[in-house]
Amino acid sequence: MSDGLEARLRAPLKERADFAEVLPGGWGSLPPVDLARNLVYLEQSGATPVGELFDLSGTPGGRIRFVGKLDRANRLAAGLSEGTVIVEGSVGNEAGLGMAGGILDIKGNAGIRAGAAPPGFKRGMLGGELIVRGSAGAEAGSYMRRGLLVVTGQAGDRAGLGMIAGTVVVGGATGSGAGLWSKRGSIVALGAISPPPTYAYACTYEPIHLRLLLRRLRGEYGLPLQRRHITGQYRRFSGDMAELGKGEILQWTGN
Amino acid sequence: MPPSRSDMRIREVFIEDTFAEAFTMRVARVIITAASSRWVRAASDKLTGFATSVIGCKVEAGVERELAAKETPDGRPGVSVLLMTMGKDDLGKRLIERVGQTVLTCPTTACYDGLPEAPDRLGVGSALRFFGDGFQSSKVIGGQRFWRIPVMEGEFLVQEQFGMLKGVGGGNFLILARSGDAALSAAEAAVDAMDTHPGVILPFPGGVVRSGSKVGSRRSKTMIASTNEAFCPTLRAVTQSALPEGVNSVLEIVINGTDGAAISGAMRAGIDAACRDGVVAISAGNYGGKLGPHHFHLRQIMAETVG
Repeated sequence: MSDGLEARLRAPLKERADFAEVLPGGWGSLPPVDLARNLVYLEQSGATPVGELFDLSGTPGGRIRFVGKLDRANRLAAGLSEGTVIVEGSVGNEAGLGMAGGILDIKGNAGIRAGAAPPGFKRGMLGGELIVRGSAGAEAGSYMRRGLLVVTGQAGDRAGLGMIAGTVVVGGATGSGAGLWSKRGSIVALGAISPPPTYAYACTYEPIHLRLLLRRLRGEYGLPLQRRHITGQYRRFSGDMAELGKGEILQWTGN
Repeated sequence: MPPSRSDMRIREVFIEDTFAEAFTMRVARVIITAASSRWVRAASDKLTGFATSVIGCKVEAGVERELAAKETPDGRPGVSVLLMTMGKDDLGKRLIERVGQTVLTCPTTACYDGLPEAPDRLGVGSALRFFGDGFQSSKVIGGQRFWRIPVMEGEFLVQEQFGMLKGVGGGNFLILARSGDAALSAAEAAVDAMDTHPGVILPFPGGVVRSGSKVGSRRSKTMIASTNEAFCPTLRAVTQSALPEGVNSVLEIVINGTDGAAISGAMRAGIDAACRDGVVAISAGNYGGKLGPHHFHLRQIMAETVG
């Protein structure tokens, strides 16, 4: 099996850039020479082929690894529907915007609106798994319809804003307004969280499905989840009561 | 030098030159977990209750093996259960009935599919979810959908779909012994030897049948099975008995499995264990080879052991 492609940034980006068209549908089978023709939109310099910014190598195999300082790269893996995208560092805003499948694994931080809905769209992530092994900015996973977003560090304000379904797991503290206006879906908070006033406490219990989910995240991605998280007790808050009230915040109790 | 096939004996126990005749069935593997092995057993005992033979039960079921916590999807103690029916359509119905009445109801349990690779899928959680009366919710984890059904204790977690494979039901062998005690001891030894074999279940009580049957009845047109008088010691004088001289008790072990190889392996271990003092011969039940497509020839199976 191929290790896939590697995209190594030649020089740090000097301006913000839109990467939304770098990984279109079917990208997983593109050889480096073809992928190099896709365009990155630099904020001031305009459209630039990927090949001018990155050294591309490897053989296609549904997997790509981005190496370099990409914290000015916005919308990386936006609309992703297949394959595995690994970022060896931090990324800019709107990573995995509206992604529908595949895996986006960010080894550093993500900016605002990771896995959120594209502007003008009512639905954010439609599927796939977005892993942020650092912290994420505001509105991560907003309007998620399906899929999984994991932030091992802190999540900014309004994580899971307007969620329709799906799951957001936050390892560190979660900012204010988490799950506001959600219809369904789960926010799993392993760190501090203050559920919005439109969420109502239901009970403290052990959700068995979290055993499956957290064990899988530990096994599949090597995330630093402890036994006490996996077998722990969780406070369940139902909300948003201003909406359907079928969503939930599961707050780890610490034991 | 191993004995010839024409006179196969294992520790002086005669192995008859016959075969067990078995049938194609449909099989599902259900994984049950719970907070402790006590509650795993509580659920699996009920799930596999009244499930000995499709002659009178709608499903045949048994515990395949206990699972250590590290082997189960949620890291709790568990058990693997096989449920088998003759027809495709039956299996889904039986799973819904039984999981719904015996696992959903049992404290702390969760229920998972044990045949994830099977292409034929049965909607089990997708049907049981309606017990949640609109309060149920689902989660997709690792590409599989699970239903969370709210119950008074907390939540019952059940996988949406369960796999179904073709399996084999009705593998068997008969222990022909000098006494009731000898037959029972040999049967217990056989069951113990087969207990750890993956892919098989022994659906009868304690794994043993004392009432082997023949097809139909001498006295009734509606009965589909009745006592197998040829193997009943008390009827030796009034029937065409199949029992060798000196045999006073017969017990049968019935083995169902996910495939023929699993049954052969279990039969080999079981027969070998059953060949002990007080046992005269090992035989098997068949219908002349005309009904079931799977034939397990005792001497072929045991040739490896004897050799």
